[in-house]
Amino acid sequence: MSEIMEDGVSRRSVLKGSIAGAGALATTGILGAGTATEAHAAGKKVSVGSNQSDPAAKKNDAAWVAAAKKAGFDVKLNTVDHNTFQNQISSYLQGTPDDVFTWFAGYRMQFFASKKLATPIDDVWAKIGSQFTAGYKNASKGLDGKYYFVPTTWYPWAIMYRKSVFAAAGVDPKTIVTWADFLNACKTFKAKGITPIALGDKGGWEAMGTFDFINFRTNGFKFHMDLTAGRVKWTDPRVQKTFNNWKTMFPYQNTDTLDLDWNAAAQLVLQKTAAMQVMGAFHASIYTDPADLADLALFPFPEIEKANGREAVEAPIDGYMLSKGATKNAANAKGLAGFIGSTGYADAVLKVAPTALFANSKMPKPENAFARQQVELVQSCKYIAQFFDRDSRPDFASPIFSNAIQKFLGGGDSVAIAADLQKQWDALPSA
Amino acid sequence: MSTNTSTAVAETPQRRRRRGNSFTAKDRAVIGGLVGFPTALHILLVWIPAILTITLSFCEWDGIGGIADIKWVGFRNYTQIFTLYADFGPALRNNILWLLALALVATPLGVILAYFIDKELKGTKFYQTAFYLPMVLSLAVTGIVWDYIFRNNGFVNAMLGADHPGHTISWFGDPHKNIWVVLGIASWRHIGYIMLLYLAGLKSVDPSLREAAAIDGAKEFATFRKVIFPSLRPVNVIIIVVTVIESLRAFDLVYVINRGKNGLQVLAVAVYENILGESARIGWGAALATILFVLCIGPIMLYLYQTFKADK
Repeated sequence: MSEIMEDGVSRRSVLKGSIAGAGALATTGILGAGTATEAHAAGKKVSVGSNQSDPAAKKNDAAWVAAAKKAGFDVKLNTVDHNTFQNQISSYLQGTPDDVFTWFAGYRMQFFASKKLATPIDDVWAKIGSQFTAGYKNASKGLDGKYYFVPTTWYPWAIMYRKSVFAAAGVDPKTIVTWADFLNACKTFKAKGITPIALGDKGGWEAMGTFDFINFRTNGFKFHMDLTAGRVKWTDPRVQKTFNNWKTMFPYQNTDTLDLDWNAAAQLVLQKTAAMQVMGAFHASIYTDPADLADLALFPFPEIEKANGREAVEAPIDGYMLSKGATKNAANAKGLAGFIGSTGYADAVLKVAPTALFANSKMPKPENAFARQQVELVQSCKYIAQFFDRDSRPDFASPIFSNAIQKFLGGGDSVAIAADLQKQWDALPSA
Repeated sequence: MSTNTSTAVAETPQRRRRRGNSFTAKDRAVIGGLVGFPTALHILLVWIPAILTITLSFCEWDGIGGIADIKWVGFRNYTQIFTLYADFGPALRNNILWLLALALVATPLGVILAYFIDKELKGTKFYQTAFYLPMVLSLAVTGIVWDYIFRNNGFVNAMLGADHPGHTISWFGDPHKNIWVVLGIASWRHIGYIMLLYLAGLKSVDPSLREAAAIDGAKEFATFRKVIFPSLRPVNVIIIVVTVIESLRAFDLVYVINRGKNGLQVLAVAVYENILGESARIGWGAALATILFVLCIGPIMLYLYQTFKADK
């Protein structure tokens, strides 16, 4: 699921001790413990570092580890709290990392590859390459053109809604194609006393999805990728077009966006007080009642500029990388990477997570209707973005951009915000 | 210094030297060990990291690679933080507000509470426990309790009749309001802490001092101000230091509420986000930590200097 879903308390408690002023150097190697040194049962020993700390995700890990065991791998799984894993990733990779570790496609994967903290796996891809489409192949390569990543699962972002709420208001989601259609539907809901769009941005990252969509619908996919990578300036007038288009949504959003996190906003949709949420497919995770889940559906974010259509989508890809330490255990680690890329991995996870979507193209189409909708959505798109905080620099996305978005949602002046963003981008160290 | 005290001053070193000579070699080894070991630990775990942090604050480093990858950039981090970093202004403002709120409201209230509880009024034990309770509760619990009180459909809004969707008062989400709510919560915790520290001090005040003051005809307030308060100077120093440190290292409360964003920026969160987060802007974060360090140490040194100057 999203790497930035927050459980602030747990992250805080882990790191509480190290924030007092002088902690700069104190944290290296917190995650370094636990390489595969223990003598275990027979099998090809590989250690795997996992950020899958949620109960549901843990079940997925257990399932594929068991399958890997049957395939002859003795996997030693080190699961670390999701946020901690992410925050400590660079000291983890520099310490004594596990041979294989969970990570994300996009800028973040390429960053560690270019810092020589990952092992290239072209030989693995020579074996598994035929099972992946070109989009996944490209998403798995570093800037040097070598493969560094094995994609496993993914999920798209779209507009989530309940079919019953739309039916009761007499709105057909299939007719929502253009921005005008979308705003009209919003008007209908508002007139019926339903909040048209539920948005929560307490964590600062949730609304990035909406920004991304409006930006590449307004200015095109290339502009969006150039902007997130810093090749276009934030002071470019096209950025203002994006912000202005977003403002047309404001009258239809709940007013307490900064009080709610994604989960609280999703609850509004679940409880039928709001009609839609721009969210990742993990929106479904709060639908515990199967009847509610069957009522859940999605439709693509509407078109804004005709030229850009609805040809781009956000669909972050999760997967695995090999650490630089894996060279010591290269045969086993690469063997396991091959297994992770195979349908053996996907079959095992599918058994415990029927709505999961796999990168491996040899997997059968999902049976679950909501999952099938997600596949169709992504297949209809020409361009796939990873999400702002995976496409942009981490030292920009979290500490700088998330605060700017909150300021914008709080009614801040978008011209001043954009100028501020550019100044802060310019002050970033050269990557 | 006047001349008649100077003889007394001249005498003391002699006496001290005599006493010093009576230490055996073993004594010295033991004392050296007792003093030396903690000192070495202190230097190793506090001063060396602190000096390294200050050094790093003049550098650019992404936390990857060794010393060769650290680039010296002089004061650039500082100038950029002061001129470009959008969160620095709000963070500094909030830390100063925090200091003012604790120093001018919470700490005096804690002292007053301690004073009354020391009078052994009826139900003293209950009040003492009640006031100290916030300090005992884990922050997660504190966060949940206050969230119930101030959330959009929470207690306060219900009392104000502002709990209908669309008409709620956003206590935690509005960047102009949330800092005041948080300062209230921080004060709520701080009062009990100061009360307990001060109460311990008051218990140690020699009762004969009070009696003497009473015999001299001093009123309640005058006794406190002229007799008790000055005799508690060591406790006062501790309280000032605790107040300054508590307010400048503020982190957990805002982090629990909204990760220290949107009106609740504080310097400690900025340090954390830049150093420990995935962004790993070590030099930049170290510069923020150094600014925080200077802010902490400044008022404390000033106060200690004043206090010990007056002692002489």
